[in-house]
Amino acid sequence: MKHQLDEMPVHIATGGRPFDPTKTVVLFLHGSGQNHLTWVLQSRYFAYRDYAVLTPDFPGHGLSGGDPLPSIEAMADWVIALMDSLDVKTAVLVGHSQGCLVALDAAARYPDRVSHLGLIAGALAIPVNAQLLSLADHALAKAIGVMVSWGHGPMAHMHDNTQPGHSFIGYGNRLMDMNRADALRTDLGACNDYKAGPENAAKISQPALCILAGADRMTPVKFGQQMAASLANSRCEILPGAGHMLPAERPAEINAALRRFLPA
Amino acid sequence: MSGDFKFDTLSLHAGHVPDDRHGSRAVPIHQTTSYVFQNTEHAAALYNMELGGHLYTRISNPTVAVLEQRIAALEDGVAATATASGMAALATAVMVLCSQGDHIVSSSRMYGANINLLENTLPRFGIETSFVDPNDLDAIKAAIRPETKLIFGEVIGNPGLDIMDVEAVGKIAAAAGIPLMLDCTFNTPWLLKPFHLGANIIIHSLTKWIGGHGVAIGGAVVDGGNFDWGQNDKFPTIAGPHYAMESINFYEEFGPAAFTAKFRAEGMYNFGPSLSPTNAFHILQGMETLPLRMQRHMDNTAKMLAFLQEHDAVAWVRHPTLPDHPGHALAQKMMPRGAGSIIVFGLKGGRDAGRAFIESVELASHLANVGDAKTLVIHPASTTHSHISAEAMIEGGLSDDMIRLSVGLEDFDDLKADFEQAFKAAGKAAKA
Repeated sequence: MKHQLDEMPVHIATGGRPFDPTKTVVLFLHGSGQNHLTWVLQSRYFAYRDYAVLTPDFPGHGLSGGDPLPSIEAMADWVIALMDSLDVKTAVLVGHSQGCLVALDAAARYPDRVSHLGLIAGALAIPVNAQLLSLADHALAKAIGVMVSWGHGPMAHMHDNTQPGHSFIGYGNRLMDMNRADALRTDLGACNDYKAGPENAAKISQPALCILAGADRMTPVKFGQQMAASLANSRCEILPGAGHMLPAERPAEINAALRRFLPA
Repeated sequence: MSGDFKFDTLSLHAGHVPDDRHGSRAVPIHQTTSYVFQNTEHAAALYNMELGGHLYTRISNPTVAVLEQRIAALEDGVAATATASGMAALATAVMVLCSQGDHIVSSSRMYGANINLLENTLPRFGIETSFVDPNDLDAIKAAIRPETKLIFGEVIGNPGLDIMDVEAVGKIAAAAGIPLMLDCTFNTPWLLKPFHLGANIIIHSLTKWIGGHGVAIGGAVVDGGNFDWGQNDKFPTIAGPHYAMESINFYEEFGPAAFTAKFRAEGMYNFGPSLSPTNAFHILQGMETLPLRMQRHMDNTAKMLAFLQEHDAVAWVRHPTLPDHPGHALAQKMMPRGAGSIIVFGLKGGRDAGRAFIESVELASHLANVGDAKTLVIHPASTTHSHISAEAMIEGGLSDDMIRLSVGLEDFDDLKADFEQAFKAAGKAAKA
């Protein structure tokens, strides 16, 4: 779906169905240096199960225009502004990695706008390795390579894919290549700078489902468990052996878990 | 463990992890047409491309998928789709990309069947091709029209062994907003990974070096994921509403894998060029030793070139690693490990001597394949390229006395002895 927000083009995947705000709205929020294609196996799945799916590219990512947003708070504000522009009063926010920080921030500061939280491979804080920040500044291709490598688990590195013929590694690299050159560095900086996670988590009472990756090298599972423990009304599921890129690596389990959790 | 596995490891393992239930170390042959759906919702989801998985072997198959994922991994692509042959791969790729009224710019120096498809068959369906010298970059540029949808060529031309400057042609294609599709059968990913030089789609005949054993025909189309299908309005069936699945837009739904998604949903579904699971299994056995075989192919090719160059019976020898080849410098730059194991040469005594040579070899086999572990010879003008016109033969750099030699893995001393006796027989035939 082509949309405009603050006079900037915003690309929103709706899972191949027209957006219908009268249905339960599920907003999928991508992670650092990613875009709507993180959710390729969720957007379509939930759109065809009677949810109103909104999977936007954040500014400067994927097919959206504009500058990448400099902070998690700015991203959360942007999500709420996007909902306003589409007449969406409340939505389920499902975040991946950095998207979890955005979802937490939005849920804490705009509690009436967020009904449920799906937090996938997340944590309350995502400090970023200084070397990776530097690579993202000066050697983007290497930074992407490192993230794709760290971001995938053992099965993905063996190219064992439920999508016939597909390579997680090849796809992961190309997906990140689609974004504006400064998108990754800006995202990583925003994650690194975000310190309000614990404080915000304490304010959140909405039901939350945390799905964690057992072999996550980017947001190790213990930090995800701390996030789950900090949320008053949360449930935690761990997928053993999976890497950080859970939505692509384990789509069937992610979709099934979210489906059990989401309101009808 | 997890890491960025290297080529030799991926050749053995990519695409397959032993399953929990049986633990089969070898890739199982899923010799089945169909797959039991979990329920009606699962069936619908597979048809609607909401889930990965298999619904019918014409579209995909678990054994074939291992092969596809292994090729995608070796090429650094986003995805691959296997087909019944290399020609099925090319024909289906063109049909997925092009429509009536579209145009292709192609190298004139290619395998005969590639030329036949483009020159004689596709025009009947309204798809025209302009053939150009693959080394003439200005000619390639000049041949591009508003309706051109593709530049196509072979990295190492068959059988003339012209070398295409992939990076330069890739830039021309990118500037025109069209993909560069290459037949990479002769180079294999062990010699060159063209996606890193700007190619966008790769065609393989898996029958050749990748299989290597000569027991199974197969092909593949590999998607580099590095072409922006939405950058212009040239590809409305990829970056616009498609007829299927409630007007699915492959570009928006699948991004870098949009071409593969359409290839699977339309190419495999409607044309049905599927590879059999058993052939996929056979080709996988060959792929396991691809790096080892390729090194031996290169070693034997170097020895054979030295032998042929020094032999009195040989009139001329052509191979990109020889300094007098016009593409020598380019080949050295693009493929430092070697420029393939095909050698073309002519004998003193011309076509008659060549015929006698081919009929006299005993260890080498006279047949229509290349890239086998065994050494192969053929006379292209009367066989593989016999269906193309005399003009196209000349344009393609083919001479009437040309012998195409596919250097195998035998002990080189034995090959040398075989060729020595065949050269003697050829000499006698030329004098008679």
